Amino acid sequence: MKPPAAQGRVPPQSALLRPEREDLRVAALAALAVALHVLEAALPSPVPGMKPGLANVVTLLALVRFGWRTAAWVAALRVLVSGLVLGTFLSPTFLLSAGGAAAALGALGLAARCPGRGFSPLGLGLVAAMAHMGGQLLVAWALFVPHPAVALLAAPLMTAAAAFGTLSGIIAWRILAQEEATEQA
Amino acid sequence: MRLRPTPADLLAFAAAAALLAALHLHAWGGGGPVVTARVETPAGTRLLPLDRAGTYRVPGALGESVLEVRDGAVRFVDSPCRAKVCVRSGWARTSGDLVACLPNGVVVTLTGPDGEYDAINF
Repeated sequence: MKPPAAQGRVPPQSALLRPEREDLRVAALAALAVALHVLEAALPSPVPGMKPGLANVVTLLALVRFGWRTAAWVAALRVLVSGLVLGTFLSPTFLLSAGGAAAALGALGLAARCPGRGFSPLGLGLVAAMAHMGGQLLVAWALFVPHPAVALLAAPLMTAAAAFGTLSGIIAWRILAQEEATEQA
Repeated sequence: MRLRPTPADLLAFAAAAALLAALHLHAWGGGGPVVTARVETPAGTRLLPLDRAGTYRVPGALGESVLEVRDGAVRFVDSPCRAKVCVRSGWARTSGDLVACLPNGVVVTLTGPDGEYDAINF
């Protein structure tokens, strides 16, 4: 790409914040996650709080390929930017989303330290989704509906989380497998 | 990358299955009386379990009110008031229901295990 010399004054190099490789990587992954998150928000859901959570596939990929730090950046940016895009920033929806993401990241951090062969993407997907839903329910119970009935809601929602988490794990695994095949070819 | 579940995976799936089983048992399994009658009188407050049939005499400002508990519901059978609004109210059986004899100062409210709120709306 040619520098935009014709477009007038170009700031001196020293004044530019030059993004590093890691920054670009986080930005690209976060953009993908935001797109999935916003797309999913448009889908109708039979039960409030039940949705596939496909954006978490991106967090899983970031974790497996680049480590927990990258995954945490991607998840945090996704929650923040999606909140701004959807107009839910700092609303109860946003707090639930943030609580879930924080819990999932915590669980993934622990799972990534697991000794031995550790977790495959399948297990990571399950752990992340269960922690995500658990965190959300805790936030809901602590802040919005301090009623024991939240525990009744936990049964169907956690079941859905387990199913969708396993699905995310399978998707992440397929993508990783394909990447590996492309790299070997 | 072949999809072969690791031991940690299997452990996670087993733990998830156990957790889900417990949650579903808690959610669908019937567990004791869901509703308790909270009886407020000038003399104080007492709780009546609604899973046991019985008749209770409750002292009030004018005299004794008679409460009957049957089939998980409660009603005023008699009260020393003139209008008998409380007796005509009939049975109270769902959480949040309320029957009262105001002249006698006896208020019966049905609550869940610790139902403070029905819901909070923003």
